[in-house]
Amino acid sequence: MSETAHEAPAKQQPFMQRHHFLLRRLHSLTGVMPIGVFLINHLLTNSSVVWGMIDPKAGKTGHGGVATFQHEVDFIHSLPYLIIIEIFGLWLPIAFHSVLGVYYATTGRANNARYPFQDNWRYTLQRVSGYVGVLFIFYHVATLRWGWTFLVPGGTRWSAEYAASTLAQTLRGHASGLTLAGVGVSLFYMAGVSLLVFHLANGLWTAAITWGLTVSRQAQRRWGYACAGLGAALMAMAWSAVIGFATLDPVRARLVEESLRSAHRAEPALTAAPDAAPRRP
Amino acid sequence: MPTATPNAPTSSRSRTVRFAIVRCDGPGKPERTELFDVPVEPGANIISCLQWIAANPVTIEGVRTTPPTWDSGCLEEVCGSCTMNINGRVRQACSALIDAVSPSTTPPGPGGATITLEPMRKFPVVRDLCVDRARFFRNLERIKAWVPVDGTYSLGAGPTESPDHQATRYALSTCMTCGCCLEACPQFLREDKPEAWDTSFVGAAVISQAVLFNDHPTGATLKPQRLDVLSGPGGVNDCGNSQNCVKVCPKEIPLTESIGAAGRQVTVHAVKKFFSGR
Ligand code: SF4
Ligand code: SF4
Ligand code: FES
Repeated sequence: MSETAHEAPAKQQPFMQRHHFLLRRLHSLTGVMPIGVFLINHLLTNSSVVWGMIDPKAGKTGHGGVATFQHEVDFIHSLPYLIIIEIFGLWLPIAFHSVLGVYYATTGRANNARYPFQDNWRYTLQRVSGYVGVLFIFYHVATLRWGWTFLVPGGTRWSAEYAASTLAQTLRGHASGLTLAGVGVSLFYMAGVSLLVFHLANGLWTAAITWGLTVSRQAQRRWGYACAGLGAALMAMAWSAVIGFATLDPVRARLVEESLRSAHRAEPALTAAPDAAPRRP
Repeated sequence: MPTATPNAPTSSRSRTVRFAIVRCDGPGKPERTELFDVPVEPGANIISCLQWIAANPVTIEGVRTTPPTWDSGCLEEVCGSCTMNINGRVRQACSALIDAVSPSTTPPGPGGATITLEPMRKFPVVRDLCVDRARFFRNLERIKAWVPVDGTYSLGAGPTESPDHQATRYALSTCMTCGCCLEACPQFLREDKPEAWDTSFVGAAVISQAVLFNDHPTGATLKPQRLDVLSGPGGVNDCGNSQNCVKVCPKEIPLTESIGAAGRQVTVHAVKKFFSGR
């Protein structure tokens, strides 16, 4: 038998082929953890600008959404070694998943014109959403986290102290209203987050086949419903976040944040007082 | 959409259907499309029309040309050799009835009945509609799609087989290596260099055959070797889960279930190897 006729010895194989399995599965894994888990948390946090409004406690501050979002951002910024978490928990995994994902996407050739099945469209959309997602995440992180304000219409710099107002301003293009460029940025956010939510939901569905969790057709269908449900919930959060911030008045949000700041500054004195005072019997 | 069943043709009279055939004189030669008008009887199929054209190789311009070449064998959709693209979709020519593929009774011309025939695009063309599927067979060799018995001495009675297990394996065993699942697969790309075959995607049929033989009590002795290939470059990880394969398979083999099963086997295999160190 000449079964090794074309087989190159293992050490001569290029890196990508030698570690084929590990890289493929790490690519799949990083998409779920940490990136997928982070995306769920991130959308939960950012949609708080909408769901925070139904919190009666936060509502007393004038805009429950702004107050809750500020509270969430303050919590994240209070995490120890945040930069380490960001680099090793987010930026590197996202870079790894993106670079490998783009490379893997180039190993296929979409054929939707000839085979316009729904599953085949998801195959293609998974790749397109990956490409657009990489651009969107880069823009999102560069402008808001790394402060590349030259990419922001109006040049707003996002600040963790005034989280909601500065975010609304970057999306709207100006403090006093929605500019044309702001509409562009908001639409880009809308498209970016929608595609990324699809990418996660569909990725979870296909990952289950890749890892061999769902084998039978029924199992794949059932897991498909679960992924679609998760995707719908995340989509609702993503849209409420983007629409919430794109329609938020930065000036009014800023007033709420200022009042929160002064309340916080006043807090130590208030909480210290009962300790200092003698207890009533 | 009107569809025809084999015994109930939609047209009772003979009509004319135009065939657009993608021709090529040999490997590396340029392609051209030639048009033929064919009188079609009720119940005709693509092969019978190709036979008519081969006997009367005159294009609609009245130019005499060479008879078109194609592969066929069983003429009943069990050998897979007549697989080609018919109106842009891959399928067997012998089981493609004209009344189903092109039900229009309008005479040939714009808007009229036209059928395009194209060779499979994922394999090198030998001539006209004949392609060379050597890579497919090489891939079956790579995953050792057989039961290792040398037949030199009696092995005694085989293991008992349950009807359930038999039914599961029977479905996978009906694969006729036609290549439809490869033609429609966005991850299976044409590769003419044999040196690249061993690192290029094997495709759904081969994954499914690996699962079939892993599932055979005696075939399972080669399971680790099969899984080494399936976990490597070109293995099951290169599937993009578009699930086209299962939709175009004429044998309705549950290919996506085989892909899931192979994924599971490869995952377990990797964990075992990780802890056993080999
Ligand atoms: S599911 Fe995988 S093997 Fe089947 S057509 Fe899609 S990419 Fe190809
Ligand atoms: S799995 Fe189906 S489509 Fe693929 S080669 Fe076998 S019979 Fe043909
Ligand atoms: S000739 Fe055998 S499948 Fe068509």
